[in-house]
Amino acid sequence: MNNEILYSKSFGISGRDFINAGTVSVKIKNILKEIGIKPEVVYRVSICCYEAEMNVVMYADAGNLDFKITKDEIIVSMEDKGPGIENIELAMKEGYSTATQEMREMGFGAGLGLPNIKNNSDEFRIESEILKGTKLYFKINLN
Amino acid sequence: MELSLIADMLDCRNHTDEFLLKKEILYCYASDMMSDVLKSCKIGALLITGLVNQQVIHVAEIMDLKGIIFVSGKEPSAVMIEKANDIKLPLMTTKKQLFEVCGILHVVGLKGGEILQDR
Repeated sequence: MNNEILYSKSFGISGRDFINAGTVSVKIKNILKEIGIKPEVVYRVSICCYEAEMNVVMYADAGNLDFKITKDEIIVSMEDKGPGIENIELAMKEGYSTATQEMREMGFGAGLGLPNIKNNSDEFRIESEILKGTKLYFKINLN
Repeated sequence: MELSLIADMLDCRNHTDEFLLKKEILYCYASDMMSDVLKSCKIGALLITGLVNQQVIHVAEIMDLKGIIFVSGKEPSAVMIEKANDIKLPLMTTKKQLFEVCGILHVVGLKGGEILQDR
């Protein structure tokens, strides 16, 4: 496997910024589309990024999304400063959500965020520390 | 089915550029939860929703949705309409309720599409 990084970009995400929420993922989608990545991969990556981005906006103070393309895969790592996730096993369960009423009114809190990332990626890791933040890492194969 | 026909059937008010109603619709999806759309909606479907905010537009862009119908008379904001025109995403409002809209579109032959069929 050739791990040479062909493209890399970093995006800052602000917590509670519902005005700009989602724009990072749309930018990533457009970059992938422009460079001719196959549609199936574009959808999977942008769905994962959107869910990860919205988690930062909803729960954390701030986050950073690093996005890399190699010959064989797309690698995303996301790190946020925030409350962390108390029970990762529960958070990974479809339908489980800690979203507030306000978040639900905005169309979130289906309890599908992390499961959607896991299901759309080829490799997925999550680490979280209470009162510090959460780290996400996912890879999507290009072929 | 052309989107303009769907708009007539549902007595929709169109908010975006008229020519966008020429789009051909094969599949529909209905939900107010954005993660549901990301999980189960077919790429390129028409979304029927009661949720009206900027996030619906972002999700539509990610999923290359063909258009959005807002139910129960809910109207998109000027910012949403501007963005939708930019990305050629038709936005419409109907006074009908979600259940009724889905029923009408189902009867005329529109499909939900197989979940995850194209991923």
